[in-house]
Amino acid sequence: MKQLFVFLSLLFIVTTAKAQTDTSAKVDIHVQNGSLYDIIQQIEKQSEFQFFFDTNQLTKETINYSQNKISIGSLLNTIFMPKNLFFSIDQQAHIFLSYGVNLVTQITNDYFFGKINPLPVLVTDTSFLSNEEITTQATLTDKKIYEIGEKAQAGQHPIVTIAGYLKDVKTGEPVAGASIYIDQPRIGVTSDQNGYYSISLPKGKHILNVQSLGMRDIKRQVVLYSDGKMNMEAISSIMSLKKVVISSQKMSNVRGTIMGVQKLDIKSVKQVPVVFGEADVLRAVTTLPGVKTVGEASTGLNIRGGASDQNLILFNDATIFNPTHFFGMFSAFNPELINNIELYKSSIPANFGGRLSSVLDINSREGNKKEYTGSAGIGLLTSRVNLEGPIIKDKSSFILGGRSTYSNWLFDLLPEQYKNSKADFYDVNFIVNHQIDKNNTLYFTTYLSKDHFNLNSDTAYGYSNKNVAVKWKHIFNNKLNATFAVGNDQYAYEINSQHLPVSAYQVGFDINQSYLRANFNYNYNSKHSFEYGFSSLYYLLHPGTFEPLGAKSLVVRDVINAEKAAESALYLTDHYTISSKLKLDAGLRLSMFNSLGAQNVNIYPAGVPRTAESILKTVSYADGKIVKTYGGPEYRLGLRYVIDETLSLKAGYNTQQQFIHSLSNTTAMAPTDIWKLSDPNIKPQTGDQISLGIYKNLKSNTIETSFEVYYKNINNYLDYKSGAVLVMNHHIETDVIETKGKAYGAELLVKKIAGKLNGWISYTWSKVLLKMDDPTAGDIINHGNYYPSNYDKPIDVTIVANYKFSHRFSISMNGNYSTGRPITLPIGVFSYGGSMRTLYADRNAYRIPDYFRTDFSMNIEGNHKVHQLTHNSWSIGVYNLTGRKNPYSVYYVSENGAVNGYKLSIFGNAIPYINLNIAFK
Amino acid sequence: MKITIKYILILMLFFIACKEKYISPVTSPITGYLVVEGAINSGLGATNIILSRTAGLQIQNIVYEKGAIVKVEGEDNTIKQLTEVSDGNYTISGLNLNANKKYRLNITTKDGKVYLSDFSSIIYNPPIDSVNWKRENGSVQMYVNTHDDTNNTQYYQWETSETWEIHSGYLSALKYKQTNSAKGTVYSVDYSDSINKSIDYGKYYCWKTVPSSQILTGTTVALSKNIINLPIANIPQDSWKLNVLYSLFTRQLSISKGKYEFLQRMKKNTEGTGSIFDAQPSDLNGNLHCVSNSNEPVIGYIDVCNVQEKRIFISRTQVPDWNYYQGCNEIRITNNSDSIQIHGLYLLPTYPETNPMTGAIISFFAAPPECVDCRLRGSNIKPSFWP
Repeated sequence: MKQLFVFLSLLFIVTTAKAQTDTSAKVDIHVQNGSLYDIIQQIEKQSEFQFFFDTNQLTKETINYSQNKISIGSLLNTIFMPKNLFFSIDQQAHIFLSYGVNLVTQITNDYFFGKINPLPVLVTDTSFLSNEEITTQATLTDKKIYEIGEKAQAGQHPIVTIAGYLKDVKTGEPVAGASIYIDQPRIGVTSDQNGYYSISLPKGKHILNVQSLGMRDIKRQVVLYSDGKMNMEAISSIMSLKKVVISSQKMSNVRGTIMGVQKLDIKSVKQVPVVFGEADVLRAVTTLPGVKTVGEASTGLNIRGGASDQNLILFNDATIFNPTHFFGMFSAFNPELINNIELYKSSIPANFGGRLSSVLDINSREGNKKEYTGSAGIGLLTSRVNLEGPIIKDKSSFILGGRSTYSNWLFDLLPEQYKNSKADFYDVNFIVNHQIDKNNTLYFTTYLSKDHFNLNSDTAYGYSNKNVAVKWKHIFNNKLNATFAVGNDQYAYEINSQHLPVSAYQVGFDINQSYLRANFNYNYNSKHSFEYGFSSLYYLLHPGTFEPLGAKSLVVRDVINAEKAAESALYLTDHYTISSKLKLDAGLRLSMFNSLGAQNVNIYPAGVPRTAESILKTVSYADGKIVKTYGGPEYRLGLRYVIDETLSLKAGYNTQQQFIHSLSNTTAMAPTDIWKLSDPNIKPQTGDQISLGIYKNLKSNTIETSFEVYYKNINNYLDYKSGAVLVMNHHIETDVIETKGKAYGAELLVKKIAGKLNGWISYTWSKVLLKMDDPTAGDIINHGNYYPSNYDKPIDVTIVANYKFSHRFSISMNGNYSTGRPITLPIGVFSYGGSMRTLYADRNAYRIPDYFRTDFSMNIEGNHKVHQLTHNSWSIGVYNLTGRKNPYSVYYVSENGAVNGYKLSIFGNAIPYINLNIAFK
Repeated sequence: MKITIKYILILMLFFIACKEKYISPVTSPITGYLVVEGAINSGLGATNIILSRTAGLQIQNIVYEKGAIVKVEGEDNTIKQLTEVSDGNYTISGLNLNANKKYRLNITTKDGKVYLSDFSSIIYNPPIDSVNWKRENGSVQMYVNTHDDTNNTQYYQWETSETWEIHSGYLSALKYKQTNSAKGTVYSVDYSDSINKSIDYGKYYCWKTVPSSQILTGTTVALSKNIINLPIANIPQDSWKLNVLYSLFTRQLSISKGKYEFLQRMKKNTEGTGSIFDAQPSDLNGNLHCVSNSNEPVIGYIDVCNVQEKRIFISRTQVPDWNYYQGCNEIRITNNSDSIQIHGLYLLPTYPETNPMTGAIISFFAAPPECVDCRLRGSNIKPSFWP
């Protein structure tokens, strides 16, 4: 410490004396069985330089070094820097050695860098580009010091902004979601989806840290003079190949302002064992706290007590209305193309809107910009092929992926009566990105998924998603950048039946939305950065067409009028760093929904239940006319208080509005669910949520823990009257009722993100209750008391664990326990129509038995020789290892005149699987 | 036109899912709500009303409501009382109601409570055009055809009842005789009709009648013409029902939209559950109310129409390649007590082998009881409508 004081006081000694400070001066060094101290002494003898250091900080190791005519600069760089001894030189030819660098930057940067010629030693090694872009080399132990900005401008403003792209050195793909931060003072940002970052820092010398999923940590020494650009290349953790890194930014757990955001990268998705071995994005999400599904045949997510239609599922900005394949058994996302998944469940950033519960933001990878590669996977039910490569090397790339099923062999194994059944699905993604110049990048995404199935050539079902999105990212300057997105999302389904010629029919439904969005990021200063923009959506929905099929059909063509609407939003978020400990994200989103003509609106008398008979009159609106406007402000607040490096508290409050509703009176998400826009008779759903959380990292940030509690209100959530008809209903408002809901719970997550054993444990305790107590709206449910919703599963525990034996062999295991979901059980029987029948009473008054499942998988990698044409890997596993017959539902049915109760399990035994993945060049 | 994807799930269940019996851990509360089934027949035919009570889940027997006073009331204050022909079954014929008036059901139960249905006008019911059938995937599929050019009727309900003739596998002229002596029971065979030694056709010809246990409804709402062509019954391939002669009796009721929806809900609750995409069970509010306690649930929906009926016959000769065999085998047993005890007690004797000199039965053939005595599978009373 004595030397430190000496050092500090020296800084304030102003002297005009000029001394020889040229580090290119050559010296001869010969040290045998010596120490760093011996080298220092030899330099001091042969030059005018004087060293200042703390002897305790010099390593005690023995050094043998012999070199004639070596520059002092390269000595410092090659011998001292690798030992983490940083150096600074002043005009008096004093060399200050310090272990770490923080000593210097804390004090009067302005003085130090403004008046003193900085670091001539390094000039020879640095790409000294004042106004040019700097691209740092992809080394991890980069000891260079990067100078950014023009020295001439130094001193004008204490804060400068640097910005640039973070890319994968091997593939040229952007590294999204990386944390870029300095420690002193604590300032950090996150790279966006395009790998772009922008950070405002005090002038001077800093160590810039970069941490990201699947990438090795980077440290860069920078000296900032004025605004500048710096692109960085990151190295993926190549040694671990796959399935090692677990999903989360190491420090951001504690640091980020956003609460309840969960991030999964595709590696952790792939290590979660799943049925038939199909790596499944949505299934992996269900292992996170607060995320539930009604059962195994459903990938509809219920997040913090929300219904499955209250999640905004985005794939590269495109809304996916039905994210499932094969009756909901698989999610419709090709895991090979996915880079990461972000789930926002409590603080939803203001740039997202239109859904109550959550935003699931799925981002694809970009194609390899350097060379052509591909991969193929073969599984029991599906196989997939992906190709990627540069279009213009280092500038643009494409990625094309497709999956298809050959599940029909399963049907061939079935008895005769099922032989004619078919189930097909496929999905195709084509993604192109092109970097026009350093400030402009274009992204183009197309997505197509299609399902088709029929049973005994009787009734055929089909549904498809079609999405196109174009995004343009423009960087105005270091402080301001923007993305503009335009696209079109479609979902359609069709049912037809030709069995009875007289009544052969075809039913169709489709929803189509076009959007234009602009998002600006303005990095105002180190205290404030703003995110603002607008979103404009135009909906065109065909609620139903019912048409005859074939010449004999007597079916009358029936078409429900198309629904049209516009949904617009303006938003602004201030990311406000109040102090190094306290940070506030304050967002405001102004949403407006216009229901548009042409429309016929039924008017109902107030105070009595709506029925088809009670329609007073029908008012017609002309095409394009605004029929009804809903809207209002939505607040998005997030607050973070850092107690110490590893402990923080967060709070969030947000309000949401949802103008589009999925109508389904089935428990699960069914392919035939339809969507309905708000109109004069169907109010938007609204909700608000308050949440609190405590975040703690343990064992040098390798264990992350978080505990969050929340309370949520839901209004105008649609439930259904008894016997509601949802398909081809011209006045759907007579069959639905608006309910109130409340949800509350606590979520605990413990995650180990490094080491041979990694994984996470999530524990959720929650309640979701609904209430319908307005007798003027229809029959009240359960006497107007709160009743549990279909997906109210109070206790849910999930454990995901992965153990890596070697680089080539790892095993994964997961376990899940949850309370059984509520069901309506019959309370009695009676006779009617020649059969005993069941009598039902209170809705959801009982529960099915609890759920427990464990899965196991082994991942075997082929050899790791870099230069070979293909890399193979196998995954072998067992789903539902214990073969437990987990009940999906319990039901009573009248059979041959008697009432029998059954318990239905989707997977009645252990399901083994095997998958082969081939990557090729 | 049912848009259901139940079948997929049945399919799914087939290869992976698994269904087990479930016994509810819940003790049912005592309900005992009144259940009223039937319709008022405005024509000359029978009006049948069945009264019963809801019961706990574990009870599988019907709890009939006996001793009630059941009346058809007109808005013109006409009253016709039904008579209880069997437990909970109340009937009256020849009502011949006034087409311009509305009618309702008035029930006074033994405990003195009064239940009323809403007044309903008579819904026109067109006659059944035909009930026809065709072979489909080996089975015999029957369809009902109806049309209503006036388009007054858009919702229909059908009640069907199947009757078929049963022949035993073997003719029988014998029966076991059992005599008790000091040594124990002694068995022998003897002729059923010891005088004529003739075949006992009472065990050979039988008939079985089974009413449908499904709720059958149909609607023409979505069709351009008021034409009904709907499947109403099916004889599975090679079923015993078509061994000789089969008959389907169809009662057609025209119903109100309210009753149609009521029946649809009941159907969904009790026939359409069990798949993954099933709807939630729903309440069953009909058009009957308890006068003294409006909160008391009453299950049932009563409206009024002129019930139309149709009976068809299908003979095995009309259906080629109908491969029904009962699969019976006879064995020969010596006519002594020990042999009968060892081989014959679980069988029934069919035909004797006699000593040509004495006529005594030396040995006889025997077959499983269901191959010999058709009364085990039906009734030997020939229905009045049988040809």
